[in-house]
Amino acid sequence: MMGNKAEPREAATVDRDAVAKTKRKLRRTLVYIILILFTIVNAYPIFWMIMNAFKTSQDFSLNPFGLPANWVFENFQDAWVTANIGTFFFNSVLVGAVAVLISIFSGALAAYFLSRFEFRGKKFIYGFLVIGLLIPIHATLVPMYILMQNLGILNTYWALIFPYVAFNLPITVFLLTSFMSSFPKEMEESAIMDGCGVFRIFWSIILPMTRPAIATAVIINFINNWNEFAFALVLISDEALQTLPLGLANFAGAYTTNYPAQMAGLTLVLVPTIIFYLLMEKQIVEGMTQGAVKG
Amino acid sequence: MHLLRSPWKIGLGLVLPLIIYMVFGIIPIFISFYYSFMAWDGFSAMSFVGIENYITAFQDSTFWLSLRNNILVVLASVLGQIPIGLGLALLLNRKIKGAKFFRTIGFLPVVISTVVISITWRMIYNSEQGLLNNLLETTGLGFLQQNWLGDPDSAIFAILITIVWQFVGLYFIIFLSALQTIPKELLEAAELDGAGEWHKIVHITLPSIRNVILVAIVLCISGSLKTFDLIYVMTQGGPAHSTEVMATYMYSETFEGLSYGYGSALSILILVFSLILILITTKVMGVKRT
Repeated sequence: MMGNKAEPREAATVDRDAVAKTKRKLRRTLVYIILILFTIVNAYPIFWMIMNAFKTSQDFSLNPFGLPANWVFENFQDAWVTANIGTFFFNSVLVGAVAVLISIFSGALAAYFLSRFEFRGKKFIYGFLVIGLLIPIHATLVPMYILMQNLGILNTYWALIFPYVAFNLPITVFLLTSFMSSFPKEMEESAIMDGCGVFRIFWSIILPMTRPAIATAVIINFINNWNEFAFALVLISDEALQTLPLGLANFAGAYTTNYPAQMAGLTLVLVPTIIFYLLMEKQIVEGMTQGAVKG
Repeated sequence: MHLLRSPWKIGLGLVLPLIIYMVFGIIPIFISFYYSFMAWDGFSAMSFVGIENYITAFQDSTFWLSLRNNILVVLASVLGQIPIGLGLALLLNRKIKGAKFFRTIGFLPVVISTVVISITWRMIYNSEQGLLNNLLETTGLGFLQQNWLGDPDSAIFAILITIVWQFVGLYFIIFLSALQTIPKELLEAAELDGAGEWHKIVHITLPSIRNVILVAIVLCISGSLKTFDLIYVMTQGGPAHSTEVMATYMYSETFEGLSYGYGSALSILILVFSLILILITTKVMGVKRT
């Protein structure tokens, strides 16, 4: 009696389970399709560019979408020689690295006093430094040009280094101050007992402990400097001092008809960026997103 | 935290960053403000013209066009990048094969220099050799082909698409990390109560990351107000000013038109517009930054 009643119900459950399973499977497939589409839209333009850098002009016009019929490297030679990419690369690394050093060192020092001490005007100074995050950089292009001219450093590396430091200080101070504030205040107490000076404590206790946040700040600073275009455009006219984004824009402007050569120039710049990204993905992504997630 | 009795040490620590920040970040704005009341070609003597540069700006149709385009960039970014990024994050926020791969590729455009992206997309949109027209031709949609950046009607939309493309990944990853902080128990409890996928998203997931969404919107607005490189490289504001934003217009007026006074006035207007917009959004949405 009992068995008779139970049977149809069991069958219905199995049926419903099967429907739910197919539904879930369908939904999963749909999710995959959307994600794969997104990946193609994201990656294909870059892939298209890199592949065409290896084609002859003729191969490119016959077969613009896929892999090269024969892999040729002349375009890279062309781009490297005519575009001066080596020089631009050197300039970018030099300007970027010096600016990062100054920005991190001075930013860390400021963050140290702003996070570990009480003094009058502290909140004001912190707010004043951090509000720089909101200043649209290009609103300062005109006065910066005039200022650099008056200081006599227009068309030198310093003309880029100083603005790069100034515009990276807000994010640097923000990141480092919030990190240093999280240390317990007993941290320095024994050092003070031992008679260590304020700067000694900074150098040998606080700075080493801040290493993870400093790594993040270095990465953000460097990426910002590496990609910066507007200041370089306005403040540097000497070709020998141009950084990669500016040099590349000029090169592509001069080579508008020869696409494979343009693409080779872009690829030469892009490949190190991609390698750097794949190696440091975790830190880069964290650095560029944590402001929002923790905000 | 301790009270430091020797203020000169604090001064010593803060002096270097404050000087660099003031001289190269803040003071230029005041210089700009000063020059905005002058007529000056950069070489000969300046003359004081009062608020004439501002009056000129308000009567300048290209200025209004560039302001409109700035607003379009903000709208496209907020209405494009944020919803698409959020949607993708919701899709990827589950056990999925290749999740890491989708994240890596998703974020890739964000780290590429804007100049590289601009040149690449300029080639994609090219009317003869460009990827887009080639694709349309091959798929039998040849009748849709356009001179995307050469036609004043389509150029700004072509640029908006590139801008959305460039930064979707940023918001995708921001939202994904936020979603992963939601406690599993919360969602499991809802599941036991028989809540469906959609119900969970609307009543649990989205409210839990509300603040991150608001901060992302502010970030997105302030980021899109900084648009300059992309448009400068792709179209230089053309054709016929159709893709001009305030920053590119300011650049060409100052450094090509040699009107330093007018360019300075435009700089100040950019600053004022940006700060007002950011202030309003922060206030309206009640974002609290820690």
